[in-house]
Amino acid sequence: MTRLRYNGFAIALHWLTAIGVLVLIGSGLYMVNGDISKADQFSLYQWHKAVGVIVLNVVLLRILVRLLCKPPGLPESLPQLHKHAAKLGHFLLYLLVIMIPISGWFMVSASPFGLPTFVFVDWIKWPHIPFVERNKTVESIANWTHMILAYAFICFICGHILAVIHHHRHHRLNLLKRMWWSRDK
Amino acid sequence: MKPIVFVFLCLITINEVLAETIDASANNGTLGFVGEHAGMVFTGTFTRWQAELVLPPAVNPKISAEFELNSATTGDSVYDSTLPEGDWFDVENFPTATFESESIVLGTDDKFEVIGNLQLRGKSLPVEFILHRKDGKLTAEFDIDRLAYEIGAESDPDAEWVSQYINMRLTISTST
Ligand code: HEM
Repeated sequence: MTRLRYNGFAIALHWLTAIGVLVLIGSGLYMVNGDISKADQFSLYQWHKAVGVIVLNVVLLRILVRLLCKPPGLPESLPQLHKHAAKLGHFLLYLLVIMIPISGWFMVSASPFGLPTFVFVDWIKWPHIPFVERNKTVESIANWTHMILAYAFICFICGHILAVIHHHRHHRLNLLKRMWWSRDK
Repeated sequence: MKPIVFVFLCLITINEVLAETIDASANNGTLGFVGEHAGMVFTGTFTRWQAELVLPPAVNPKISAEFELNSATTGDSVYDSTLPEGDWFDVENFPTATFESESIVLGTDDKFEVIGNLQLRGKSLPVEFILHRKDGKLTAEFDIDRLAYEIGAESDPDAEWVSQYINMRLTISTST
Protein backbone atom coordinates (compact mmCIF):
# COMPACT_ATOMS: atom_id res chain seq x y z
CA MET A 1 0.00 0.00 0.00
CA THR A 2 1.42 3.38 -0.96
CA ARG A 3 1.74 6.12 1.64
CA LEU A 4 -0.85 8.83 1.43
CA ARG A 5 0.74 11.28 3.79
CA TYR A 6 4.15 12.67 4.60
CA ASN A 7 6.02 11.15 7.53
CA GLY A 8 5.41 12.67 10.97
CA PHE A 9 8.75 14.42 11.17
CA ALA A 10 8.40 15.99 7.72
CA ILE A 11 4.92 17.21 8.73
CA ALA A 12 6.34 18.78 11.89
CA LEU A 13 9.05 20.53 9.88
CA HIS A 14 6.49 21.79 7.35
CA TRP A 15 4.33 23.46 10.00
CA LEU A 16 7.34 24.76 11.89
CA THR A 17 8.53 26.43 8.66
CA ALA A 18 5.03 27.78 8.01
CA ILE A 19 4.80 29.41 11.45
CA GLY A 20 8.37 30.73 11.20
CA VAL A 21 7.83 32.17 7.74
CA LEU A 22 4.62 33.94 8.75
CA VAL A 23 6.34 35.44 11.78
CA LEU A 24 9.28 36.53 9.61
CA ILE A 25 7.14 38.13 6.93
CA GLY A 26 5.11 39.97 9.57
CA SER A 27 8.15 41.12 11.55
CA GLY A 28 10.15 41.94 8.39
CA LEU A 29 7.44 44.16 6.90
CA TYR A 30 6.72 45.83 10.24
CA MET A 31 10.32 46.55 11.19
CA VAL A 32 11.17 48.04 7.79
CA ASN A 33 7.95 49.94 7.06
CA GLY A 34 6.25 50.39 10.45
CA ASP A 35 6.20 53.69 12.31
CA ILE A 36 8.16 52.51 15.35
CA SER A 37 10.89 53.88 17.61
CA LYS A 38 14.52 53.25 16.75
CA ALA A 39 14.89 51.12 19.89
CA ASP A 40 11.96 48.87 18.92
CA GLN A 41 13.18 48.73 15.34
CA PHE A 42 16.63 47.65 16.51
CA SER A 43 15.33 44.88 18.78
CA LEU A 44 12.94 43.67 16.08
CA TYR A 45 15.87 43.43 13.64
CA GLN A 46 17.82 41.28 16.11
CA TRP A 47 14.75 39.15 16.74
CA HIS A 48 14.01 38.75 13.02
CA LYS A 49 17.61 37.66 12.38
CA ALA A 50 17.47 35.07 15.17
CA VAL A 51 14.15 33.58 13.98
CA GLY A 52 15.43 33.72 10.38
CA VAL A 53 18.50 31.68 11.27
CA ILE A 54 16.32 29.09 13.02
CA VAL A 55 14.06 28.86 9.97
CA LEU A 56 17.11 28.50 7.71
CA ASN A 57 18.27 25.52 9.77
CA VAL A 58 14.80 23.99 9.84
CA VAL A 59 14.58 24.34 6.05
CA LEU A 60 17.99 22.72 5.55
CA LEU A 61 16.89 19.83 7.75
CA ARG A 62 13.67 19.66 5.79
CA ILE A 63 15.47 19.37 2.49
CA LEU A 64 17.61 16.60 3.94
CA VAL A 65 14.53 14.72 5.17
CA ARG A 66 12.90 15.23 1.77
CA LEU A 67 15.93 13.77 0.01
CA LEU A 68 16.21 10.82 2.38
CA CYS A 69 12.54 9.90 2.77
CA LYS A 70 10.49 9.57 -0.37
CA PRO A 71 7.40 11.79 -0.14
CA PRO A 72 3.97 10.29 -0.96
CA GLY A 73 3.11 10.41 -4.67
CA LEU A 74 0.60 13.01 -5.87
CA PRO A 75 -3.02 11.74 -5.96
CA GLU A 76 -3.80 9.72 -9.10
CA SER A 77 -7.00 11.66 -9.73
CA LEU A 78 -5.05 14.90 -10.23
CA PRO A 79 -4.85 15.98 -13.89
CA GLN A 80 -1.36 15.66 -15.38
CA LEU A 81 -0.98 19.41 -15.89
CA HIS A 82 -1.82 20.04 -12.23
CA LYS A 83 0.76 17.46 -11.19
CA HIS A 84 3.44 19.30 -13.14
CA ALA A 85 2.29 22.64 -11.78
CA ALA A 86 2.32 21.28 -8.21
CA LYS A 87 5.85 19.92 -8.61
CA LEU A 88 7.12 23.18 -10.07
CA GLY A 89 5.29 25.22 -7.42
CA HIS A 90 6.76 23.15 -4.59
CA PHE A 91 10.23 23.38 -6.08
CA LEU A 92 9.93 27.17 -6.29
CA LEU A 93 8.66 27.35 -2.72
CA TYR A 94 11.76 25.43 -1.57
CA LEU A 95 13.98 27.68 -3.65
CA LEU A 96 12.45 30.82 -2.15
CA VAL A 97 12.46 29.57 1.42
CA ILE A 98 16.17 28.86 1.13
CA MET A 99 17.19 31.92 -0.93
CA ILE A 100 15.43 34.42 1.36
CA PRO A 101 17.26 33.53 4.59
CA ILE A 102 20.55 33.13 2.72
CA SER A 103 20.18 36.61 1.20
CA GLY A 104 19.38 37.92 4.72
CA TRP A 105 22.51 36.22 6.00
CA PHE A 106 24.58 37.82 3.21
CA MET A 107 23.03 41.21 4.01
CA VAL A 108 24.03 41.17 7.68
CA SER A 109 27.46 39.67 6.92
CA ALA A 110 28.29 42.37 4.38
CA SER A 111 26.85 45.29 6.35
CA PRO A 112 29.53 47.72 7.61
CA PHE A 113 27.64 47.78 10.93
CA GLY A 114 29.09 44.34 11.69
CA LEU A 115 26.29 43.55 14.13
CA PRO A 116 26.41 39.94 15.34
CA THR A 117 23.49 37.51 15.01
CA PHE A 118 22.81 35.98 18.39
CA VAL A 119 20.18 33.25 18.32
CA PHE A 120 18.32 34.54 21.39
CA VAL A 121 21.18 33.65 23.79
CA ASP A 122 24.71 35.07 23.97
CA TRP A 123 26.33 31.69 23.60
CA ILE A 124 24.80 30.92 20.22
CA LYS A 125 26.40 33.34 17.80
CA TRP A 126 25.60 32.63 14.17
CA PRO A 127 28.77 33.41 12.17
CA HIS A 128 29.03 35.92 9.36
CA ILE A 129 29.68 34.71 5.82
CA PRO A 130 33.43 35.22 5.22
CA PHE A 131 34.99 37.45 2.55
CA VAL A 132 32.06 39.85 2.25
CA GLU A 133 32.56 41.99 5.35
CA ARG A 134 31.99 45.73 4.88
CA ASN A 135 31.00 45.18 1.28
CA LYS A 136 28.28 47.68 0.44
CA THR A 137 27.69 46.26 -3.05
CA VAL A 138 27.03 42.77 -1.69
CA GLU A 139 24.91 44.29 1.07
CA SER A 140 22.67 46.21 -1.29
CA ILE A 141 22.29 43.31 -3.76
CA ALA A 142 21.42 41.00 -0.84
CA ASN A 143 19.00 43.56 0.61
CA TRP A 144 17.24 43.98 -2.72
CA THR A 145 17.13 40.19 -3.32
CA HIS A 146 15.77 39.59 0.20
CA MET A 147 12.98 42.10 -0.33
CA ILE A 148 11.96 41.07 -3.87
CA LEU A 149 12.04 37.36 -3.04
CA ALA A 150 10.08 37.97 0.17
CA TYR A 151 7.34 39.71 -1.83
CA ALA A 152 7.39 36.89 -4.43
CA PHE A 153 7.19 34.40 -1.56
CA ILE A 154 4.07 36.09 -0.18
CA CYS A 155 2.42 35.57 -3.62
CA PHE A 156 3.60 31.95 -3.78
CA ILE A 157 2.30 31.19 -0.28
CA CYS A 158 -1.10 32.61 -1.28
CA GLY A 159 -0.97 30.47 -4.45
CA HIS A 160 -0.02 27.41 -2.37
CA ILE A 161 -3.01 27.91 -0.03
CA LEU A 162 -5.38 28.71 -2.92
CA ALA A 163 -4.26 25.52 -4.72
CA VAL A 164 -5.21 23.44 -1.66
CA ILE A 165 -8.64 25.15 -1.55
CA HIS A 166 -9.08 24.75 -5.33
CA HIS A 167 -8.33 21.00 -5.27
CA HIS A 168 -10.69 20.59 -2.35
CA ARG A 169 -13.52 22.29 -4.22
CA HIS A 170 -12.97 21.06 -7.77
CA HIS A 171 -11.31 17.68 -7.39
CA ARG A 172 -12.77 16.64 -4.03
CA LEU A 173 -9.26 16.21 -2.68
CA ASN A 174 -8.45 16.98 0.93
CA LEU A 175 -4.75 17.60 0.49
CA LEU A 176 -4.43 18.93 4.02
CA LYS A 177 -4.70 15.33 5.26
CA ARG A 178 -1.37 14.60 3.56
CA MET A 179 0.27 17.22 5.76
CA TRP A 180 -1.35 16.42 9.09
CA TRP A 181 -0.60 13.68 11.60
CA SER A 182 -2.87 10.64 11.76
CA ARG A 183 -2.64 7.00 12.83
CA ASP A 184 -3.85 5.68 9.45
CA LYS A 185 -1.55 5.70 6.41
CA MET B 1 78.87 79.33 39.58
CA LYS B 2 77.04 82.39 40.81
CA PRO B 3 75.02 81.73 43.98
CA ILE B 4 71.80 82.88 42.33
CA VAL B 5 72.25 80.35 39.50
CA PHE B 6 73.02 77.64 42.05
CA VAL B 7 69.87 78.39 44.05
CA PHE B 8 67.85 78.38 40.86
CA LEU B 9 69.25 75.02 39.80
CA CYS B 10 68.58 73.62 43.28
CA LEU B 11 64.99 74.80 43.12
CA ILE B 12 64.48 73.13 39.76
CA THR B 13 65.98 69.89 41.05
CA ILE B 14 63.86 69.96 44.21
CA ASN B 15 60.81 70.61 42.10
CA GLU B 16 61.62 67.67 39.82
CA VAL B 17 62.22 65.43 42.83
CA LEU B 18 58.99 66.52 44.47
CA ALA B 19 57.04 66.32 41.21
CA GLU B 20 54.91 63.35 41.89
CA THR B 21 54.23 60.89 39.09
CA ILE B 22 50.82 59.31 39.32
CA ASP B 23 50.56 55.93 37.70
CA ALA B 24 47.03 55.07 36.81
CA SER B 25 45.38 51.99 35.38
CA ALA B 26 42.18 49.99 35.73
CA ASN B 27 43.46 49.02 39.21
CA ASN B 28 43.08 52.51 40.64
CA GLY B 29 40.79 54.15 38.14
CA THR B 30 38.12 53.84 35.50
CA LEU B 31 38.15 54.99 31.93
CA GLY B 32 34.64 54.91 30.60
CA PHE B 33 32.47 56.11 27.77
CA VAL B 34 28.80 57.00 27.45
CA GLY B 35 26.79 57.36 24.28
CA GLU B 36 23.39 56.69 22.80
CA HIS B 37 22.29 53.97 20.46
CA ALA B 38 18.78 53.82 19.01
CA GLY B 39 17.79 56.40 21.60
CA MET B 40 19.05 54.22 24.46
CA VAL B 41 22.00 55.22 26.63
CA PHE B 42 24.93 52.80 26.68
CA THR B 43 27.91 52.94 28.99
CA GLY B 44 31.18 51.09 28.81
CA THR B 45 34.67 50.95 30.23
CA PHE B 46 38.11 50.04 29.03
CA THR B 47 39.50 47.31 31.22
CA ARG B 48 43.11 47.61 30.01
CA TRP B 49 44.70 51.04 30.05
CA GLN B 50 47.50 52.89 31.73
CA ALA B 51 48.39 56.51 32.23
CA GLU B 52 51.18 58.52 33.72
CA LEU B 53 50.45 61.94 35.12
CA VAL B 54 52.88 64.59 36.26
CA LEU B 55 50.86 67.60 37.27
CA PRO B 56 51.75 71.22 37.99
CA PRO B 57 53.54 72.66 39.90
CA ALA B 58 56.12 70.31 38.31
CA VAL B 59 58.05 72.22 35.68
CA ASN B 60 57.35 69.69 32.97
CA PRO B 61 53.81 68.58 33.63
CA LYS B 62 52.66 65.80 31.37
CA ILE B 63 49.92 63.29 30.93
CA SER B 64 50.33 60.31 28.67
CA ALA B 65 47.91 57.46 28.41
CA GLU B 66 47.38 54.37 26.35
CA PHE B 67 44.31 52.18 26.20
CA GLU B 68 43.59 48.91 24.48
CA LEU B 69 40.56 49.26 22.28
CA ASN B 70 39.56 45.62 22.40
CA SER B 71 39.22 45.89 26.17
CA ALA B 72 36.02 47.96 25.79
CA THR B 73 33.11 46.30 27.56
CA THR B 74 29.55 47.53 27.85
CA GLY B 75 27.79 44.56 29.41
CA ASP B 76 25.76 44.15 26.23
CA SER B 77 27.00 41.30 24.03
CA VAL B 78 25.73 42.91 20.81
CA TYR B 79 27.75 46.10 21.45
CA ASP B 80 30.80 44.22 22.76
CA SER B 81 30.87 42.12 19.67
CA THR B 82 30.38 45.09 17.32
CA LEU B 83 32.83 47.63 18.80
CA PRO B 84 36.03 45.83 17.65
CA GLU B 85 34.71 45.58 14.07
CA GLY B 86 36.38 47.32 11.10
CA ASP B 87 34.04 50.29 10.84
CA TRP B 88 34.06 50.91 14.59
CA PHE B 89 37.29 50.63 16.61
CA ASP B 90 38.97 48.49 13.94
CA VAL B 91 41.11 46.83 16.60
CA GLU B 92 42.84 44.64 14.07
CA ASN B 93 44.54 47.64 12.49
CA PHE B 94 44.52 50.00 15.46
CA PRO B 95 44.76 48.00 18.67
CA THR B 96 45.58 50.95 20.94
CA ALA B 97 44.60 54.55 21.40
CA THR B 98 46.86 57.11 23.03
CA PHE B 99 46.63 60.50 24.66
CA GLU B 100 49.57 62.89 24.98
CA SER B 101 49.22 66.25 26.66
CA GLU B 102 50.62 69.42 25.13
CA SER B 103 49.95 71.79 27.98
CA ILE B 104 48.64 71.51 31.51
CA VAL B 105 47.84 74.69 33.38
CA LEU B 106 46.85 74.79 37.03
CA GLY B 107 43.71 76.88 37.33
CA THR B 108 41.77 77.78 40.44
CA ASP B 109 40.20 75.25 42.85
CA ASP B 110 42.63 72.46 42.00
CA LYS B 111 41.53 72.32 38.41
CA PHE B 112 44.00 71.58 35.66
CA GLU B 113 43.31 72.78 32.17
CA VAL B 114 44.64 70.08 29.90
CA ILE B 115 45.18 70.36 26.16
CA GLY B 116 46.52 67.42 24.19
CA ASN B 117 46.05 65.01 21.34
CA LEU B 118 43.96 61.89 21.34
CA GLN B 119 45.02 59.33 18.78
CA LEU B 120 42.25 56.91 17.94
CA ARG B 121 41.87 54.67 14.93
CA GLY B 122 45.02 56.14 13.39
CA LYS B 123 43.87 59.76 13.68
CA SER B 124 45.33 62.24 16.13
CA LEU B 125 43.04 65.11 17.02
CA PRO B 126 43.26 67.85 19.65
CA VAL B 127 41.16 67.54 22.80
CA GLU B 128 40.75 69.80 25.80
CA PHE B 129 39.42 68.98 29.22
CA ILE B 130 39.48 70.04 32.84
CA LEU B 131 41.03 67.62 35.30
CA HIS B 132 39.53 68.10 38.74
CA ARG B 133 41.38 67.12 41.90
CA LYS B 134 39.04 66.56 44.80
CA ASP B 135 38.66 64.13 47.71
CA GLY B 136 41.67 62.03 46.73
CA LYS B 137 40.43 61.65 43.18
CA LEU B 138 41.25 63.04 39.78
CA THR B 139 38.30 63.22 37.44
CA ALA B 140 37.77 64.45 33.91
CA GLU B 141 35.22 64.19 31.19
CA PHE B 142 35.06 65.36 27.62
CA ASP B 143 33.20 64.60 24.41
CA ILE B 144 34.74 63.13 21.33
CA ASP B 145 33.25 63.40 17.88
CA ARG B 146 33.22 59.77 16.68
CA LEU B 147 32.75 60.85 13.06
CA ALA B 148 35.91 63.01 13.20
CA TYR B 149 37.73 59.75 13.99
CA GLU B 150 35.72 57.95 11.28
CA ILE B 151 34.23 55.61 13.85
CA GLY B 152 31.08 54.13 12.32
CA ALA B 153 31.50 56.50 9.36
CA GLU B 154 30.32 53.93 6.84
CA SER B 155 27.54 52.41 8.93
CA ASP B 156 26.03 55.51 10.40
CA PRO B 157 27.42 58.73 8.90
CA ASP B 158 24.33 60.76 9.89
CA ALA B 159 24.32 59.58 13.51
CA GLU B 160 20.89 58.12 12.88
CA TRP B 161 21.60 55.18 15.21
CA VAL B 162 24.67 56.00 17.31
CA SER B 163 25.19 59.47 18.78
CA GLN B 164 27.92 61.51 17.10
CA TYR B 165 29.40 62.62 20.42
CA ILE B 166 30.66 60.05 22.89
CA ASN B 167 31.39 61.22 26.40
CA MET B 168 34.68 59.95 27.80
CA ARG B 169 34.98 59.76 31.59
CA LEU B 170 38.11 59.31 33.62
CA THR B 171 38.42 58.77 37.37
CA ILE B 172 41.70 58.08 39.15
CA SER B 173 42.02 57.45 42.84
CA THR B 174 45.14 59.20 44.15
CA SER B 175 44.74 58.36 47.84
CA THR B 176 46.81 55.34 48.79
C1 HEM C 1 12.44 32.56 5.55
C2 HEM C 1 13.15 33.46 6.13
C3 HEM C 1 12.93 34.96 6.05
C4 HEM C 1 11.82 35.66 5.60
C5 HEM C 1 10.52 35.11 5.04
C6 HEM C 1 12.15 37.08 5.75
C7 HEM C 1 11.28 38.10 5.42
C8 HEM C 1 11.62 39.45 5.45
C9 HEM C 1 10.78 40.52 5.00
C10 HEM C 1 9.37 40.37 4.44
C11 HEM C 1 11.47 41.67 5.17
C12 HEM C 1 11.00 43.09 4.83
C13 HEM C 1 11.45 43.43 3.43
C14 HEM C 1 11.17 44.87 3.06
O1 HEM C 1 10.00 45.28 3.05
O2 HEM C 1 12.15 45.58 2.76
C15 HEM C 1 12.77 41.35 5.74
C16 HEM C 1 13.75 42.25 6.05
C17 HEM C 1 14.97 41.90 6.62
N1 HEM C 1 15.42 40.64 6.92
FE1 HEM C 1 14.43 38.92 6.60
N2 HEM C 1 13.41 37.19 6.28
C18 HEM C 1 13.92 35.91 6.48
C19 HEM C 1 15.16 35.58 6.99
C20 HEM C 1 16.14 36.49 7.37
C21 HEM C 1 17.44 36.14 7.88
C22 HEM C 1 17.98 34.71 8.10
C23 HEM C 1 18.10 37.31 8.13
C24 HEM C 1 19.49 37.53 8.67
C25 HEM C 1 20.23 36.70 9.35
C26 HEM C 1 17.20 38.40 7.76
C27 HEM C 1 17.51 39.72 7.87
C28 HEM C 1 16.69 40.75 7.46
C29 HEM C 1 17.07 42.15 7.55
C30 HEM C 1 18.39 42.72 8.11
C31 HEM C 1 16.00 42.88 7.00
C32 HEM C 1 15.89 44.40 6.87
C33 HEM C 1 16.23 44.84 5.48
C34 HEM C 1 16.22 46.36 5.37
O3 HEM C 1 16.59 47.04 6.32
O4 HEM C 1 15.82 46.83 4.31
N3 HEM C 1 16.01 37.86 7.31
N4 HEM C 1 12.83 39.98 5.90
